[in-house]
This record gives sequence, structure tokens and C-alpha cells, in this order.
Amino acid sequence: MKKNTKKILTGAFSLAVGATLLTGCGGDAGNEGGNVTLELFSNKSENMETYEGLIAEFEEQNPTIDIELNAPPEAETVLKTRLTKGDMPDLVAIGGNATYGELARAGVFEDFSGSEFLEHIQPAYIEMINQLVGEAKEGTYGVPYASNANTVIYNKDKLEDLGLEVPRTWDEFVNALETAESAGEVPIQFTLKDAWTGMIPWNSVAANIQPENFAAKKSAGEASFQEDYSEVAEKMLTLIKYGHDDNFGVGYGDGNTAFGKGEGVFYFQGNWAIPEIKKANPDINLGVFAMPVTNNPEANKLVSGVDVLLAVNAEADNKEEATKFIAFLLEQENAKQYIDEQAAFSAIHGVLQEDPVMEGIKQNFEEGTITSFPDHYYPAGMQAANLIQAFLIEKNKDEFLTTLDKEWEKVENR
Amino acid sequence: MQKKQNTYILMTIPALALFFIFHTYPVLQGIFYSFTDWKGYGEWNFVGLKNYFNVFQDRRALSAYGFTFQFAIVSTILVNIFSLLIAMGLNAKIKFHKTLRAVYFMPNVLGILIVGYIFNFIFAHFIPDIAQSLGINALSKNILGDPDLAWIGIVIMAVWQAVAFNTILYLAGLVTISDDLYEAASIDGAGPWKKFWAITFPLIAPFFTINMVLAMKNFLMVFDHIIALTGGGPGQSTESISLLIYRGGFEGGEFAYQSANAVIYFIVIVIISVVQIRVLQKREVEL
Repeated sequence: MKKNTKKILTGAFSLAVGATLLTGCGGDAGNEGGNVTLELFSNKSENMETYEGLIAEFEEQNPTIDIELNAPPEAETVLKTRLTKGDMPDLVAIGGNATYGELARAGVFEDFSGSEFLEHIQPAYIEMINQLVGEAKEGTYGVPYASNANTVIYNKDKLEDLGLEVPRTWDEFVNALETAESAGEVPIQFTLKDAWTGMIPWNSVAANIQPENFAAKKSAGEASFQEDYSEVAEKMLTLIKYGHDDNFGVGYGDGNTAFGKGEGVFYFQGNWAIPEIKKANPDINLGVFAMPVTNNPEANKLVSGVDVLLAVNAEADNKEEATKFIAFLLEQENAKQYIDEQAAFSAIHGVLQEDPVMEGIKQNFEEGTITSFPDHYYPAGMQAANLIQAFLIEKNKDEFLTTLDKEWEKVENR
Repeated sequence: MQKKQNTYILMTIPALALFFIFHTYPVLQGIFYSFTDWKGYGEWNFVGLKNYFNVFQDRRALSAYGFTFQFAIVSTILVNIFSLLIAMGLNAKIKFHKTLRAVYFMPNVLGILIVGYIFNFIFAHFIPDIAQSLGINALSKNILGDPDLAWIGIVIMAVWQAVAFNTILYLAGLVTISDDLYEAASIDGAGPWKKFWAITFPLIAPFFTINMVLAMKNFLMVFDHIIALTGGGPGQSTESISLLIYRGGFEGGEFAYQSANAVIYFIVIVIISVVQIRVLQKREVEL
């Protein structure tokens, strides 16, 4: 009897240890039977269906490679958490943002410098992502794939009913908002329950007003929010006046639905929101334009950035397969399929967005009146989005600009 | 005798090993990193106590502490009032009391993120829609979008969810009180109110202590409720300490700095729990 107890206990113990060991190293069990499993980690939830379609096609052409798509919520945080654990995915599709810069500087990604992939990419975008990494570490650690536009989306029918034209200067824009309000419309559909949505107008306004290379100057102590962002903050306060009753109670998802159903004349969102709005109302007549931030139409630029760049984990076991998948995505027809389904713009030469909705910003891409997202150069630990959300509620400009300066310095000093 | 002891050791050693690997070791690691400037990846150096000094000067960390304490105290009190009331009701000889127990336990079974999704809908659509049709202006907006009111929304959901578990503990306590006492009190002419203060409450004091300490500790570590409802906003008005540590540590690349914050936070929770137990145990009575 006693012997039995001992046996059972040892058995249970070895089982428990075995189980922990198994869960501990479940990640790399993909190489059996000649089949390779690649993980594609994406920070976007909007384009999952598109990826899945492309992956199915790729897997058909390459039966030995399985691609698992993983696009969790709060993806960048998840990515960094996994990095801390030493469990990086093989293939990463993220935006050209501060996170990319940080990870590339830390040497997480494979360097693509000199790769033939980059020959197909528009140089402006390569330069944009190189700038994010900074001068301290030379190289191109990802392949820009799709780019986005930080726009004002508008309801064409409503604008026509109000007898308005697409505004080309700040004054015309404010005028349009005024007209919409007096006609009893909601001029702007804000979705500020999600703090990040406040960054859309902020980036448009700041990009056109802030001095060149603000971030570098700020870090060197040659610029500050208090000196250079006063007008930005004021213009934000002007815009918030034209919202609806519950600017801070409506989230991104609800806002897309509301705008689709005809609530609001203008909506500050990137091109990525267009498919979402059309889900709520497929017949809506939408247009986009770059926010006219100054009164000089020639000087107003469209904020555009790399929405998706493809990077390979420098320590991945299956680099060859990962590169193969990138080559597949870069093929003209696949890149075209991606931008058509996502209402995005391609970073690849000769792949053009022809959607009539995009008519209003086509010119910006053709003429190159494009500038990058200011907040991609802010230190991530600052969490500017929440600070801006708080500012739009409290409307205390001086205190807000001081806080921005302090937070920036605080994060850099850590 | 020797054999028997071996059996018990065999039971506890694996647990001890697992506990050390998955609990103690990471804590020690965290303490170690709090003295460095590690970002979670890449190279690092020792920086001594710099991170600790920075936490005390960080206005954002202080306001997170403020919010967390406000939230934890209010929620702990409310949870204990409601769960004691419900437990007493369920302990009485009423009809369907078994079914009712199951119903009241339901919230504890649901995941907080799911509950959060439901409450988000209630706050964003359900309440404002009803309030608008009734013409009540005060409630016609989403309270989660108001920096002064958002914390109330979180308290409502947290209390709703936590009452179930504490009710079970109180029920366990109420069962230990013998009916004889109440009968004797009735003979002496005590009313229900008197019975509660003179018999029930003193006798479930150990359970009261446990419930207060557990609830307080759980609410001080509030995290998923906030992720589900407000994500720390509007502004930073509902940013709890655990959320700040997670966000700053992983998103903001301040792993080492937030490790220091976590160590301080750990010490604070231990101190509060110990003080609570000391104070509350003094007023417990033995029968």
C-alpha cells in the first residue's frame, strides 16, 4: 500500500515536471516532417482578412511552409513582452513607428541593406524608416510595404448639401465647420474615448507647424513644446469645439459606425478607417483630404507614414522561408491586392491606389507634398496620446505644454 | 513514522520547487533589474538607486497611487457591505436559496474582459439611451469618458464582480454560528438588529478580517478591469499602478524603472496587508 502511494506520488511529480517542461518550450516545435511553421506577427487588426487570403495563396504555392498569423490587441506591448522573454516571432509586420526604431536599434531585426527587395521600394519610405532608427545604427531593418495617410475623411453628400467645397486653408476649414454646426450637423465625429484617435488631428496639425527635426532639437535642448507647440495646442482647442456632445465617451469602433450612418461631416482618421466605415454603410459617399493647417494651400502637407513594414527576426531559425514570404508579398499583383482591400498606398514602385475615394490626396503622393508622423519621434514612454486626451478635456494650454516638456525630459533621463 | 514523513515531504518539495521557479525567482530577477537601466532588451548598466529616486519624483506614478488607493478603499468597503448582506440573506431559510447562491456566484465565473465588454456597452449605449429618452441630462453621456466619473464606472463593475467570492466566504462564516445563540438571544428579547451586532458580527470577525484583507489586496492590484473599460483614460485619470507598470515597462521601454516601481508597490501592499491583519485581528473575539 505504502509502496503504491510512493509510486503514485513520484508519477505525479514527474508528470508535473514534464508538463512544465513541455509548455516551456512549445514554441519551436515546427520542424518535424519537413514542414516549416512561420509565425507572422502583425500589429494591425484591420488587415487580418487580407493577410489570410494572401497566406492561403502562398501556402498553396509552397506546401512545405505553414504561416501562422498572430495579431493580438495591444500588439506592440505584446511584442515587447515577448522580446523580454526571448520569444520573438520569425516575421514581424509593424508600422514604421517608434517601436520599430527602438527594436531596430536594439539589434532585433535582420539588416536588409543592399538587399534586392529594397530596389522595388520608393526611396522616400526607406529614408523614413532609416530616420526612425537614427544615426547611431546604420541600416534598413525592414522592408516598407504599405503606407498610410493621416487624413480628414468627409461625407461627400453632406458637404454638397451644405453647399461647401473641400477646404484648402485653415480659415476655410473653420468656416466649413461653422457652417456645418449652424446647419445642425455634427461638424466633427470625435472618438476620443480611445486616446490614440486624438493623435490623428494632432499629427496633422503638428507636422505642418512644428520646426524641422523637432525631436532631435528637443533632445538637444534647442526646442521645446512650450516655444514651438503653442499654435498646435490652440488649433486643437479650436477643433474640439466642433465635436458632438460626448467626444470622450465614443470609441473608435462606435465612431466608425456612427460616421457610416451619417453622424458627422468630418472625421479625423487615416485611410485604414475607410473599410471599417464602409462595413457600417457600404453605400456611403466618402472623400478624403489632407487637413489644411495653414492658410497657405501650397505649404499644407499630408502626413503619411509606413503603415506596414516587414521585418525578419535576426535570430529566426527559418530566415530563408521568411524571406520567401516577403518576396511573395512584394509581387506586384499581391501588393495591389493588399492596397485595394485595405484602401492603403503601396510603398512599391508602380503599384498605385486607384480608389476614387482617395482622389483628394492622390496629388500629395504624386507631388511628394508629404511629411512624416511627428509622434513617431516622441519617446514612447511619454505616452503622448493620454496627455493630449487630458488636455482636450481640461483645455489648460500652458500647463499641458509644460507637462509635455517635463515628461519628455523625464523619460529621456531614465 | 519515518515513512509518513517522507510522504509529506514528497508532497511539498515539488510545490516548493515550482513556487521558487515561477514565483520567487522572477521576483528576485525583478529586484535585480530595478537597479539597472535595462529596457527589456539590448544592453544595460547598473545605475544604483536612481530608478527609486525617480519614482518618488514621478507625478504620474504618484497620481496612479492616488487613484489606486481611492478605488481600492471604496471598492473594499462596498464589496464587504454587499457581500455580508447577501450572505445573510442566503443563509436564512428562504425558498430557492441554493439556486440563488448559484445565481449570485455567476459573476465570479465570467472572465473580467468579457464582463468589461458587457459593461462597456451598458455605459456607452444602454444607460445614455435610457437617460436620453427619459430626459435625464446627467446620465446621457458615457461616464467612462468623464475624468471625474470614470472611476465610478470601474468601481461598479469591480464590486459587481467581486461580491460573489466574498459572499461565499461570509456564508462559510455564518454557518459556523450555532443556532442556540440566536435562540438564547430571542429568549432574552433581542431583536434582529441587536442579534446582528451582538452575535453575528463579532462571531464572523475572522472572516471579516480575511475578506477585508483579500478584497483590499485584490483591488490594489486592479488591472484587467481598467484595460477592459477605459485603458487608463480619459487622460491618465484611471491609470492604476499595475497598469502603469505594465504600460511603462513594456510599451514605453522603461523595464528597469518600472521594476523599481513594482518593488516599491510590492512593499506597500505587504505593509498595508500586515497592518490590516494586526488591527482587525485585535477586535476578533473567541467563543
